[in-house]
Amino acid sequence: MLLSIENLTVRYGPETALNIDQPIHIEEGERIGIIGSNGAGKTTLVKSILGLVPYQGTIQTALTRDQIAVHMQFNEYADSMPVKYIMEAILETKISKNKKLQELIGYFEFGECLKKRYTKLSGGQKQRFTIILVMMQEAPLTFYDEVTSGLDFETRQKLMEKLANWYRNKNSSLCIVSHYYDELENLVDKLLILDKGRVVAYGKTEELFRRYCGRAVIILDNTPENEILVKDHKRLAAPAHLIALSCDNESDEREVTSRLLAHNKNYKHSSRDIEILSINAKKALFMKSEGISYDK
Amino acid sequence: MTNKTRKSLTLQMLLFELRNITGNPYVHLFGIAMPILMSYIIIRGVTMEVSDPALLCTISTSVFLGIGVVIPMAIALMGYAATRAQEMEKGIPERLELFGIRSSITLCNRIAAELIFILVVFILYFVYGCLFLELEPPKASGAVIYTISMLALTIILLCIAHGIASILKKFGPTYCVVMILYFTLMLFSGMMGLSYDNMPSGIQFVAKLLPTTYLNKDIYTIWVGESCRFAPMIQSYLLWAVIAGILLVTTAEIKQKYHKLP
Repeated sequence: MLLSIENLTVRYGPETALNIDQPIHIEEGERIGIIGSNGAGKTTLVKSILGLVPYQGTIQTALTRDQIAVHMQFNEYADSMPVKYIMEAILETKISKNKKLQELIGYFEFGECLKKRYTKLSGGQKQRFTIILVMMQEAPLTFYDEVTSGLDFETRQKLMEKLANWYRNKNSSLCIVSHYYDELENLVDKLLILDKGRVVAYGKTEELFRRYCGRAVIILDNTPENEILVKDHKRLAAPAHLIALSCDNESDEREVTSRLLAHNKNYKHSSRDIEILSINAKKALFMKSEGISYDK
Repeated sequence: MTNKTRKSLTLQMLLFELRNITGNPYVHLFGIAMPILMSYIIIRGVTMEVSDPALLCTISTSVFLGIGVVIPMAIALMGYAATRAQEMEKGIPERLELFGIRSSITLCNRIAAELIFILVVFILYFVYGCLFLELEPPKASGAVIYTISMLALTIILLCIAHGIASILKKFGPTYCVVMILYFTLMLFSGMMGLSYDNMPSGIQFVAKLLPTTYLNKDIYTIWVGESCRFAPMIQSYLLWAVIAGILLVTTAEIKQKYHKLP
Protein backbone atom coordinates (compact mmCIF):
# COMPACT_ATOMS: atom_id res chain seq x y z
CA MET A 1 0.00 0.00 0.00
CA LEU A 2 1.33 3.40 -0.99
CA LEU A 3 -0.77 5.64 1.18
CA SER A 4 -3.60 5.41 3.66
CA ILE A 5 -5.85 8.07 5.11
CA GLU A 6 -7.90 7.71 8.25
CA ASN A 7 -10.16 10.15 10.08
CA LEU A 8 -8.78 13.15 8.26
CA THR A 9 -10.11 16.56 9.18
CA VAL A 10 -8.97 19.89 7.78
CA ARG A 11 -10.33 23.13 9.17
CA TYR A 12 -9.93 26.63 7.80
CA GLY A 13 -10.86 28.74 10.80
CA PRO A 14 -14.30 27.68 12.02
CA GLU A 15 -15.13 25.98 8.71
CA THR A 16 -14.47 22.27 8.19
CA ALA A 17 -13.12 21.94 4.68
CA LEU A 18 -12.58 18.20 4.77
CA ASN A 19 -13.88 15.43 6.99
CA ILE A 20 -12.96 11.96 5.80
CA ASP A 21 -14.31 9.39 8.21
CA GLN A 22 -13.83 6.23 6.14
CA PRO A 23 -10.39 4.76 5.40
CA ILE A 24 -8.92 5.58 2.01
CA HIS A 25 -6.14 3.33 0.73
CA ILE A 26 -4.09 3.99 -2.38
CA GLU A 27 -2.35 0.94 -3.78
CA GLU A 28 0.58 0.74 -6.16
CA GLY A 29 -0.36 1.27 -9.81
CA GLU A 30 -3.88 2.53 -9.11
CA ARG A 31 -5.39 5.36 -11.17
CA ILE A 32 -7.80 7.32 -9.01
CA GLY A 33 -10.08 10.13 -10.12
CA ILE A 34 -10.92 12.60 -7.37
CA ILE A 35 -14.13 14.39 -8.26
CA GLY A 36 -16.62 16.76 -6.73
CA SER A 37 -17.99 20.24 -7.24
CA ASN A 38 -16.33 23.47 -6.08
CA GLY A 39 -15.63 23.40 -2.35
CA ALA A 40 -15.87 19.61 -2.20
CA GLY A 41 -12.39 19.43 -0.66
CA LYS A 42 -10.46 17.94 -3.58
CA THR A 43 -7.52 20.34 -3.52
CA THR A 44 -7.58 20.41 0.28
CA LEU A 45 -7.18 16.63 0.27
CA VAL A 46 -4.16 16.85 -2.05
CA LYS A 47 -2.66 19.65 0.04
CA SER A 48 -3.11 17.74 3.27
CA ILE A 49 -1.41 14.66 1.79
CA LEU A 50 1.49 16.89 0.76
CA GLY A 51 1.59 18.52 4.19
CA LEU A 52 0.75 21.95 2.83
CA VAL A 53 -2.18 22.51 5.18
CA PRO A 54 -2.54 21.66 8.86
CA TYR A 55 -4.77 18.66 9.49
CA GLN A 56 -5.95 16.24 12.14
CA GLY A 57 -6.01 12.51 11.58
CA THR A 58 -3.65 10.01 10.04
CA ILE A 59 -1.98 10.01 6.66
CA GLN A 60 0.37 7.05 6.51
CA THR A 61 2.89 6.44 3.78
CA ALA A 62 6.36 5.06 3.35
CA LEU A 63 6.93 7.66 0.64
CA THR A 64 8.89 10.82 1.30
CA ARG A 65 7.62 14.13 -0.04
CA ASP A 66 10.18 13.92 -2.85
CA GLN A 67 8.57 10.67 -3.97
CA ILE A 68 5.19 12.27 -4.42
CA ALA A 69 4.98 14.38 -7.57
CA VAL A 70 2.26 16.94 -7.96
CA HIS A 71 0.86 19.22 -10.60
CA MET A 72 -1.03 21.84 -8.64
CA GLN A 73 -3.96 23.76 -10.04
CA PHE A 74 -1.86 26.93 -10.13
CA ASN A 75 1.86 26.69 -10.75
CA GLU A 76 4.12 29.72 -10.90
CA TYR A 77 7.80 30.09 -11.66
CA ALA A 78 10.40 32.85 -11.81
CA ASP A 79 9.88 35.19 -14.72
CA SER A 80 13.41 36.57 -14.89
CA MET A 81 14.65 33.99 -17.40
CA PRO A 82 13.50 31.65 -20.18
CA VAL A 83 11.76 28.50 -18.92
CA LYS A 84 14.59 26.35 -20.31
CA TYR A 85 16.84 27.44 -17.43
CA ILE A 86 14.10 26.88 -14.85
CA MET A 87 13.61 23.38 -16.22
CA GLU A 88 17.34 22.62 -16.06
CA ALA A 89 17.65 23.99 -12.51
CA ILE A 90 14.67 22.07 -11.17
CA LEU A 91 15.69 18.83 -12.84
CA GLU A 92 19.43 19.33 -12.21
CA THR A 93 20.26 18.46 -15.78
CA LYS A 94 21.07 19.89 -19.21
CA ILE A 95 18.36 19.45 -21.81
CA SER A 96 21.00 18.77 -24.46
CA LYS A 97 22.38 15.87 -22.42
CA ASN A 98 19.15 14.31 -21.19
CA LYS A 99 17.49 11.97 -23.70
CA LYS A 100 14.42 11.35 -21.57
CA LEU A 101 13.79 15.04 -21.10
CA GLN A 102 14.24 15.64 -24.82
CA GLU A 103 11.71 12.88 -25.48
CA LEU A 104 9.16 14.46 -23.13
CA ILE A 105 9.72 17.91 -24.61
CA GLY A 106 9.14 16.44 -28.05
CA TYR A 107 6.13 14.40 -26.90
CA PHE A 108 4.45 17.51 -25.49
CA GLU A 109 5.58 19.68 -28.43
CA PHE A 110 7.27 22.10 -26.05
CA GLY A 111 10.54 22.68 -27.91
CA GLU A 112 9.56 26.06 -29.33
CA CYS A 113 8.51 27.33 -25.91
CA LEU A 114 11.84 26.74 -24.19
CA LYS A 115 13.15 30.21 -24.97
CA LYS A 116 10.04 31.97 -23.70
CA ARG A 117 9.55 33.35 -20.22
CA TYR A 118 6.87 31.69 -18.09
CA THR A 119 4.38 34.57 -18.25
CA LYS A 120 4.66 34.60 -22.04
CA LEU A 121 3.43 30.98 -22.30
CA SER A 122 -0.21 30.25 -23.10
CA GLY A 123 -2.40 28.39 -20.58
CA GLY A 124 -1.86 25.05 -22.30
CA GLN A 125 1.91 25.62 -22.60
CA LYS A 126 2.12 26.46 -18.89
CA GLN A 127 0.33 23.23 -18.01
CA ARG A 128 2.58 21.22 -20.32
CA PHE A 129 5.68 22.81 -18.76
CA THR A 130 4.72 21.63 -15.28
CA ILE A 131 3.58 18.24 -16.60
CA ILE A 132 7.03 17.67 -18.13
CA LEU A 133 8.69 18.56 -14.81
CA VAL A 134 6.30 16.34 -12.88
CA MET A 135 6.75 13.39 -15.24
CA MET A 136 10.52 13.72 -15.03
CA GLN A 137 10.25 13.05 -11.30
CA GLU A 138 9.11 9.48 -12.07
CA ALA A 139 7.45 9.40 -8.68
CA PRO A 140 5.62 6.31 -7.42
CA LEU A 141 2.62 8.54 -6.69
CA THR A 142 1.60 11.54 -8.79
CA PHE A 143 -1.22 14.03 -8.29
CA TYR A 144 -2.71 16.07 -11.11
CA ASP A 145 -4.93 18.77 -9.67
CA GLU A 146 -7.26 20.30 -12.27
CA VAL A 147 -4.61 19.97 -14.92
CA THR A 148 -6.95 21.12 -17.68
CA SER A 149 -8.82 23.89 -15.89
CA GLY A 150 -9.01 27.08 -17.92
CA LEU A 151 -8.14 25.35 -21.19
CA ASP A 152 -10.36 25.24 -24.25
CA PHE A 153 -12.06 21.97 -25.22
CA GLU A 154 -9.60 21.01 -27.95
CA THR A 155 -6.48 21.70 -25.85
CA ARG A 156 -8.05 19.85 -22.93
CA GLN A 157 -8.77 16.76 -24.99
CA LYS A 158 -5.34 16.75 -26.60
CA LEU A 159 -3.59 17.13 -23.25
CA MET A 160 -5.57 14.37 -21.55
CA GLU A 161 -4.99 12.08 -24.51
CA LYS A 162 -1.26 12.66 -24.21
CA LEU A 163 -1.37 12.02 -20.45
CA ALA A 164 -3.35 8.81 -20.94
CA ASN A 165 -0.98 7.55 -23.63
CA TRP A 166 2.10 8.39 -21.58
CA TYR A 167 0.94 6.51 -18.51
CA ARG A 168 -0.40 3.52 -20.42
CA ASN A 169 1.69 0.44 -19.48
CA LYS A 170 3.41 2.33 -16.65
CA ASN A 171 3.07 1.29 -13.04
CA SER A 172 2.92 4.73 -11.39
CA SER A 173 -0.07 5.49 -9.19
CA LEU A 174 -2.04 8.52 -10.30
CA CYS A 175 -4.57 10.69 -8.50
CA ILE A 176 -6.32 13.00 -10.93
CA VAL A 177 -8.50 15.80 -9.61
CA SER A 178 -10.93 17.07 -12.22
CA HIS A 179 -14.17 18.90 -12.82
CA TYR A 180 -14.48 17.38 -16.27
CA TYR A 181 -15.79 13.88 -15.69
CA ASP A 182 -15.57 12.85 -19.32
CA GLU A 183 -11.80 13.22 -19.41
CA LEU A 184 -11.43 10.81 -16.50
CA GLU A 185 -13.38 8.00 -18.09
CA ASN A 186 -10.45 6.61 -20.06
CA LEU A 187 -7.82 7.37 -17.46
CA VAL A 188 -8.93 6.15 -14.05
CA ASP A 189 -10.02 2.82 -12.61
CA LYS A 190 -11.06 4.08 -9.19
CA LEU A 191 -13.10 7.05 -8.04
CA LEU A 192 -13.14 9.13 -4.91
CA ILE A 193 -16.28 11.26 -4.94
CA LEU A 194 -16.28 14.16 -2.50
CA ASP A 195 -19.04 16.55 -1.59
CA LYS A 196 -18.83 19.42 0.91
CA GLY A 197 -15.71 17.89 2.42
CA ARG A 198 -17.22 14.42 2.90
CA VAL A 199 -16.62 11.17 1.06
CA VAL A 200 -19.66 10.26 -1.02
CA ALA A 201 -18.15 7.09 -2.42
CA TYR A 202 -14.76 5.47 -2.93
CA GLY A 203 -14.06 2.38 -4.96
CA LYS A 204 -13.51 0.86 -8.38
CA THR A 205 -15.38 2.77 -11.06
CA GLU A 206 -17.10 -0.35 -12.38
CA GLU A 207 -18.27 -1.43 -8.93
CA LEU A 208 -19.53 2.04 -8.08
CA PHE A 209 -21.28 2.26 -11.42
CA ARG A 210 -23.03 -1.06 -10.84
CA ARG A 211 -23.98 -0.03 -7.32
CA TYR A 212 -25.44 3.36 -8.20
CA CYS A 213 -26.40 3.08 -11.89
CA GLY A 214 -26.72 -0.57 -12.83
CA ARG A 215 -25.18 -2.43 -15.76
CA ALA A 216 -25.44 0.50 -18.15
CA VAL A 217 -27.17 3.82 -18.58
CA ILE A 218 -29.00 5.23 -21.58
CA ILE A 219 -28.86 9.00 -21.68
CA LEU A 220 -31.10 11.17 -23.81
CA ASP A 221 -32.31 14.75 -23.97
CA ASN A 222 -34.94 15.77 -21.48
CA THR A 223 -37.81 16.69 -23.81
CA PRO A 224 -41.57 16.15 -23.22
CA GLU A 225 -41.64 13.68 -26.12
CA ASN A 226 -38.77 11.63 -24.65
CA GLU A 227 -40.38 11.81 -21.21
CA ILE A 228 -43.48 10.09 -22.54
CA LEU A 229 -41.45 7.59 -24.50
CA VAL A 230 -39.48 6.29 -21.50
CA LYS A 231 -41.93 7.03 -18.69
CA ASP A 232 -42.27 3.39 -17.64
CA HIS A 233 -38.53 2.79 -17.47
CA LYS A 234 -36.29 2.96 -14.39
CA ARG A 235 -34.83 6.47 -14.17
CA LEU A 236 -31.70 7.72 -12.49
CA ALA A 237 -30.95 11.18 -11.19
CA ALA A 238 -29.41 13.29 -13.97
CA PRO A 239 -28.67 16.92 -14.88
CA ALA A 240 -31.87 18.87 -15.64
CA HIS A 241 -31.38 18.78 -19.41
CA LEU A 242 -30.96 14.99 -19.53
CA ILE A 243 -32.87 11.82 -18.84
CA ALA A 244 -30.80 8.88 -17.58
CA LEU A 245 -32.24 5.39 -17.66
CA SER A 246 -30.82 2.52 -15.67
CA CYS A 247 -30.43 -0.88 -17.34
CA ASP A 248 -29.75 -3.87 -15.12
CA ASN A 249 -29.34 -6.39 -17.90
CA GLU A 250 -28.94 -6.79 -21.63
CA SER A 251 -32.66 -7.26 -22.35
CA ASP A 252 -33.37 -3.99 -20.49
CA GLU A 253 -30.90 -2.23 -22.72
CA ARG A 254 -32.27 -3.82 -25.87
CA GLU A 255 -35.81 -2.88 -24.99
CA VAL A 256 -35.01 0.80 -24.39
CA THR A 257 -32.68 1.24 -27.32
CA SER A 258 -35.03 -0.44 -29.78
CA ARG A 259 -37.84 1.83 -28.63
CA LEU A 260 -35.64 4.89 -29.06
CA LEU A 261 -34.42 3.72 -32.44
CA ALA A 262 -37.96 3.08 -33.58
CA HIS A 263 -38.76 6.71 -32.81
CA ASN A 264 -35.54 7.92 -34.34
CA LYS A 265 -34.26 9.39 -31.06
CA ASN A 266 -30.64 10.22 -30.26
CA TYR A 267 -29.22 8.61 -27.16
CA LYS A 268 -25.94 7.77 -25.50
CA HIS A 269 -25.15 4.38 -24.05
CA SER A 270 -22.53 4.16 -21.31
CA SER A 271 -21.28 1.76 -18.70
CA ARG A 272 -18.82 4.27 -17.22
CA ASP A 273 -20.54 7.65 -17.20
CA ILE A 274 -18.92 9.32 -14.22
CA GLU A 275 -21.26 12.31 -14.14
CA ILE A 276 -24.40 10.19 -13.77
CA LEU A 277 -22.58 7.92 -11.32
CA SER A 278 -21.50 10.88 -9.20
CA ILE A 279 -24.99 12.44 -9.12
CA ASN A 280 -26.56 9.17 -8.05
CA ALA A 281 -23.91 8.42 -5.45
CA LYS A 282 -24.62 11.83 -3.91
CA LYS A 283 -28.35 11.10 -4.05
CA ALA A 284 -27.77 7.77 -2.29
CA LEU A 285 -25.76 9.47 0.44
CA PHE A 286 -28.46 12.07 0.91
CA MET A 287 -31.15 9.40 1.12
CA LYS A 288 -29.08 7.44 3.62
CA SER A 289 -28.75 10.51 5.81
CA GLU A 290 -32.56 10.87 5.64
CA GLY A 291 -32.99 7.23 6.61
CA ILE A 292 -34.32 6.18 3.18
CA SER A 293 -32.81 3.22 1.36
CA TYR A 294 -31.43 3.93 -2.11
CA ASP A 295 -32.88 1.92 -4.92
CA LYS A 296 -31.63 2.77 -8.34
CA MET B 1 15.04 11.96 -9.82
CA THR B 2 13.25 9.62 -7.42
CA ASN B 3 15.21 8.67 -4.31
CA LYS B 4 18.09 10.88 -5.43
CA THR B 5 19.24 13.24 -2.72
CA ARG B 6 19.43 16.76 -4.04
CA LYS B 7 22.76 18.47 -3.52
CA SER B 8 22.81 21.76 -1.62
CA LEU B 9 24.75 23.44 -4.40
CA THR B 10 24.50 22.60 -8.09
CA LEU B 11 25.69 24.42 -11.17
CA GLN B 12 22.17 24.61 -12.62
CA MET B 13 20.71 26.06 -9.44
CA LEU B 14 23.61 28.49 -9.10
CA LEU B 15 23.11 29.72 -12.67
CA PHE B 16 19.36 29.89 -12.02
CA GLU B 17 19.89 32.10 -8.99
CA LEU B 18 22.43 34.28 -10.84
CA ARG B 19 19.85 34.82 -13.60
CA ASN B 20 17.27 35.58 -10.93
CA ILE B 21 19.53 38.25 -9.44
CA THR B 22 20.42 39.90 -12.72
CA GLY B 23 16.77 39.82 -13.77
CA ASN B 24 15.82 42.02 -10.81
CA PRO B 25 15.79 45.72 -11.83
CA TYR B 26 16.14 46.90 -8.19
CA VAL B 27 19.59 45.37 -8.09
CA HIS B 28 20.85 47.34 -11.08
CA LEU B 29 19.30 50.56 -9.93
CA PHE B 30 20.06 50.55 -6.20
CA GLY B 31 23.01 48.16 -6.12
CA ILE B 32 25.09 49.35 -9.06
CA ALA B 33 23.96 52.72 -10.44
CA MET B 34 23.18 54.35 -7.10
CA PRO B 35 26.51 53.75 -5.30
CA ILE B 36 28.44 54.87 -8.36
CA LEU B 37 26.34 58.00 -8.73
CA MET B 38 26.32 58.70 -4.98
CA SER B 39 30.08 58.34 -4.62
CA TYR B 40 30.69 60.56 -7.67
CA ILE B 41 28.36 63.35 -6.51
CA ILE B 42 29.37 63.26 -2.83
CA ILE B 43 33.09 63.03 -3.49
CA ARG B 44 32.95 65.87 -6.06
CA GLY B 45 30.91 67.96 -3.62
CA VAL B 46 33.08 67.31 -0.58
CA THR B 47 36.43 67.72 -2.32
CA MET B 48 35.50 70.73 -4.45
CA GLU B 49 37.48 73.14 -2.33
CA VAL B 50 40.22 70.77 -1.20
CA SER B 51 43.52 71.62 -2.83
CA ASP B 52 45.83 69.28 -0.90
CA PRO B 53 46.17 66.16 -3.12
CA ALA B 54 46.90 63.88 -0.13
CA LEU B 55 43.84 65.11 1.76
CA LEU B 56 41.72 64.82 -1.40
CA CYS B 57 42.88 61.26 -1.80
CA THR B 58 42.09 60.43 1.84
CA ILE B 59 38.60 61.96 1.68
CA SER B 60 37.79 60.32 -1.68
CA THR B 61 38.93 56.89 -0.47
CA SER B 62 37.07 57.18 2.83
CA VAL B 63 33.79 58.27 1.21
CA PHE B 64 34.17 55.76 -1.63
CA LEU B 65 34.73 52.82 0.73
CA GLY B 66 31.87 53.91 3.00
CA ILE B 67 29.42 54.16 0.12
CA GLY B 68 30.46 50.66 -0.93
CA VAL B 69 28.35 49.41 2.00
CA VAL B 70 25.28 50.42 0.00
CA ILE B 71 26.05 47.63 -2.49
CA PRO B 72 25.33 44.62 -0.21
CA MET B 73 22.52 46.55 1.47
CA ALA B 74 20.77 47.21 -1.83
CA ILE B 75 21.48 43.87 -3.49
CA ALA B 76 21.26 41.41 -0.61
CA LEU B 77 18.78 43.14 1.66
CA MET B 78 16.45 45.12 -0.59
CA GLY B 79 16.89 43.21 -3.84
CA TYR B 80 16.58 39.73 -2.42
CA ALA B 81 13.74 40.62 -0.04
CA ALA B 82 11.79 42.09 -2.99
CA THR B 83 12.38 39.03 -5.16
CA ARG B 84 11.64 36.56 -2.38
CA ALA B 85 8.45 38.36 -1.34
CA GLN B 86 7.18 38.41 -4.92
CA GLU B 87 7.99 34.72 -5.21
CA MET B 88 6.21 34.00 -1.92
CA GLU B 89 3.12 35.82 -3.17
CA LYS B 90 3.06 33.67 -6.29
CA GLY B 91 3.73 30.46 -4.36
CA ILE B 92 7.00 29.80 -6.21
CA PRO B 93 8.98 28.55 -3.18
CA GLU B 94 6.14 26.14 -2.39
CA ARG B 95 6.13 24.93 -6.00
CA LEU B 96 9.90 24.39 -5.86
CA GLU B 97 9.58 22.53 -2.57
CA LEU B 98 7.12 20.18 -4.25
CA PHE B 99 9.91 19.40 -6.71
CA GLY B 100 12.17 18.59 -3.76
CA ILE B 101 14.00 21.92 -3.74
CA ARG B 102 13.81 22.85 -0.11
CA SER B 103 14.05 26.41 1.11
CA SER B 104 17.50 25.70 2.58
CA ILE B 105 18.75 24.62 -0.88
CA THR B 106 17.36 27.78 -2.46
CA LEU B 107 19.01 29.91 0.23
CA CYS B 108 22.31 28.08 -0.11
CA ASN B 109 22.46 28.59 -3.89
CA ARG B 110 21.21 32.14 -3.52
CA ILE B 111 23.99 32.97 -1.06
CA ALA B 112 26.62 31.54 -3.40
CA ALA B 113 25.13 33.40 -6.39
CA GLU B 114 24.87 36.68 -4.45
CA LEU B 115 28.50 36.41 -3.31
CA ILE B 116 29.63 35.92 -6.90
CA PHE B 117 27.43 38.77 -8.10
CA ILE B 118 28.52 41.13 -5.30
CA LEU B 119 32.17 40.38 -6.05
CA VAL B 120 31.59 41.28 -9.71
CA VAL B 121 29.76 44.47 -8.72
CA PHE B 122 32.60 45.45 -6.36
CA ILE B 123 35.13 44.85 -9.14
CA LEU B 124 33.08 47.16 -11.39
CA TYR B 125 32.79 49.68 -8.54
CA PHE B 126 36.54 49.71 -8.00
CA VAL B 127 37.27 49.89 -11.73
CA TYR B 128 35.06 52.98 -11.85
CA GLY B 129 36.75 54.34 -8.70
CA CYS B 130 40.25 53.87 -10.09
CA LEU B 131 39.30 55.44 -13.44
CA PHE B 132 37.38 58.47 -12.22
CA LEU B 133 38.43 59.14 -8.61
CA GLU B 134 41.66 59.65 -6.73
CA LEU B 135 41.81 56.59 -4.48
CA GLU B 136 44.47 55.50 -2.06
CA PRO B 137 45.81 51.99 -2.73
CA PRO B 138 45.08 49.52 0.09
CA LYS B 139 47.42 47.45 2.18
CA ALA B 140 46.95 43.76 1.33
CA SER B 141 45.46 43.12 4.78
CA GLY B 142 43.10 46.08 4.33
CA ALA B 143 41.81 44.79 0.98
CA VAL B 144 41.31 41.30 2.41
CA ILE B 145 39.46 42.55 5.51
CA TYR B 146 37.30 44.89 3.37
CA THR B 147 36.34 42.02 1.06
CA ILE B 148 35.60 39.61 3.92
CA SER B 149 33.58 42.26 5.78
CA MET B 150 31.45 43.00 2.72
CA LEU B 151 30.87 39.33 1.94
CA ALA B 152 30.01 38.51 5.55
CA LEU B 153 27.61 41.46 5.61
CA THR B 154 26.07 40.16 2.37
CA ILE B 155 25.40 36.73 3.91
CA ILE B 156 23.88 38.20 7.07
CA LEU B 157 21.67 40.64 5.15
CA LEU B 158 20.56 37.88 2.78
CA CYS B 159 19.49 35.67 5.68
CA ILE B 160 17.63 38.61 7.25
CA ALA B 161 15.91 39.39 3.93
CA HIS B 162 15.02 35.71 3.50
CA GLY B 163 13.57 35.57 7.00
CA ILE B 164 11.55 38.80 6.71
CA ALA B 165 10.09 37.90 3.30
CA SER B 166 9.33 34.33 4.36
CA ILE B 167 7.52 35.48 7.49
CA LEU B 168 5.59 38.38 5.93
CA LYS B 169 4.91 36.52 2.64
CA LYS B 170 3.67 39.66 0.84
CA PHE B 171 5.62 42.11 -1.28
CA GLY B 172 4.10 45.29 0.20
CA PRO B 173 4.78 44.66 3.91
CA THR B 174 8.17 43.09 3.14
CA TYR B 175 9.30 46.03 1.02
CA CYS B 176 8.08 48.46 3.70
CA VAL B 177 9.99 46.69 6.51
CA VAL B 178 13.13 46.30 4.42
CA MET B 179 13.10 49.97 3.32
CA ILE B 180 12.72 51.08 6.94
CA LEU B 181 15.62 48.81 7.89
CA TYR B 182 17.71 50.08 4.95
CA PHE B 183 17.28 53.76 5.80
CA THR B 184 17.64 53.09 9.55
CA LEU B 185 20.94 51.36 8.89
CA MET B 186 22.10 54.23 6.69
CA LEU B 187 20.99 56.88 9.18
CA PHE B 188 22.44 55.25 12.29
CA SER B 189 25.64 54.24 10.52
CA GLY B 190 26.43 57.87 9.71
CA MET B 191 25.79 57.62 5.99
CA MET B 192 23.12 60.30 5.82
CA GLY B 193 24.99 63.40 6.90
CA LEU B 194 25.20 62.85 10.66
CA SER B 195 28.55 61.20 11.37
CA TYR B 196 29.05 58.81 14.30
CA ASP B 197 31.17 61.32 16.25
CA ASN B 198 28.42 63.96 16.08
CA MET B 199 25.63 61.65 17.20
CA PRO B 200 24.02 62.01 20.64
CA SER B 201 25.21 59.29 23.02
CA GLY B 202 21.86 57.41 22.86
CA ILE B 203 22.05 57.15 19.10
CA GLN B 204 25.73 56.26 19.33
CA PHE B 205 24.73 53.30 21.49
CA VAL B 206 22.44 52.03 18.72
CA ALA B 207 25.03 52.81 16.03
CA LYS B 208 27.60 50.67 17.88
CA LEU B 209 25.35 47.65 17.35
CA LEU B 210 25.42 47.98 13.57
CA PRO B 211 28.20 46.44 11.44
CA THR B 212 27.55 49.15 8.84
CA THR B 213 28.70 51.81 11.32
CA TYR B 214 32.19 50.30 11.43
CA LEU B 215 32.23 49.74 7.69
CA ASN B 216 31.54 53.45 7.32
CA LYS B 217 33.71 55.01 10.02
CA ASP B 218 36.64 52.60 10.44
CA ILE B 219 37.04 51.10 7.02
CA TYR B 220 39.51 53.72 5.78
CA THR B 221 41.78 52.98 8.77
CA ILE B 222 41.59 49.28 7.99
CA TRP B 223 42.09 49.92 4.25
CA VAL B 224 45.36 51.71 4.72
CA GLY B 225 46.56 49.19 7.31
CA GLU B 226 46.51 51.47 10.37
CA SER B 227 45.78 49.98 13.79
CA CYS B 228 42.10 49.55 14.57
CA ARG B 229 40.03 47.95 17.36
CA PHE B 230 38.24 45.06 15.67
CA ALA B 231 36.40 43.74 18.72
CA PRO B 232 33.32 46.06 18.54
CA MET B 233 33.00 45.43 14.81
CA ILE B 234 33.18 41.66 15.24
CA GLN B 235 30.66 41.82 18.09
CA SER B 236 28.23 43.78 15.91
CA TYR B 237 28.63 41.17 13.18
CA LEU B 238 27.94 38.38 15.67
CA LEU B 239 24.86 40.18 16.97
CA TRP B 240 23.44 40.54 13.45
CA ALA B 241 24.34 36.96 12.63
CA VAL B 242 22.31 35.87 15.66
CA ILE B 243 19.35 38.03 14.53
CA ALA B 244 19.59 36.48 11.06
CA GLY B 245 19.74 33.00 12.62
CA ILE B 246 16.66 33.66 14.77
CA LEU B 247 14.73 34.84 11.72
CA LEU B 248 15.71 31.72 9.76
CA VAL B 249 14.78 29.43 12.66
CA THR B 250 11.43 31.22 13.00
CA THR B 251 10.78 30.69 9.29
CA ALA B 252 11.62 27.00 9.58
CA GLU B 253 9.44 26.66 12.70
CA ILE B 254 6.42 28.17 10.93
CA LYS B 255 6.80 25.63 8.14
CA GLN B 256 7.42 22.68 10.46
CA LYS B 257 4.08 23.32 12.17
CA TYR B 258 2.17 21.23 9.65
CA HIS B 259 4.67 19.65 7.29
CA LYS B 260 4.25 16.07 8.49
CA LEU B 261 5.66 14.14 5.57
CA PRO B 262 9.38 13.34 5.88
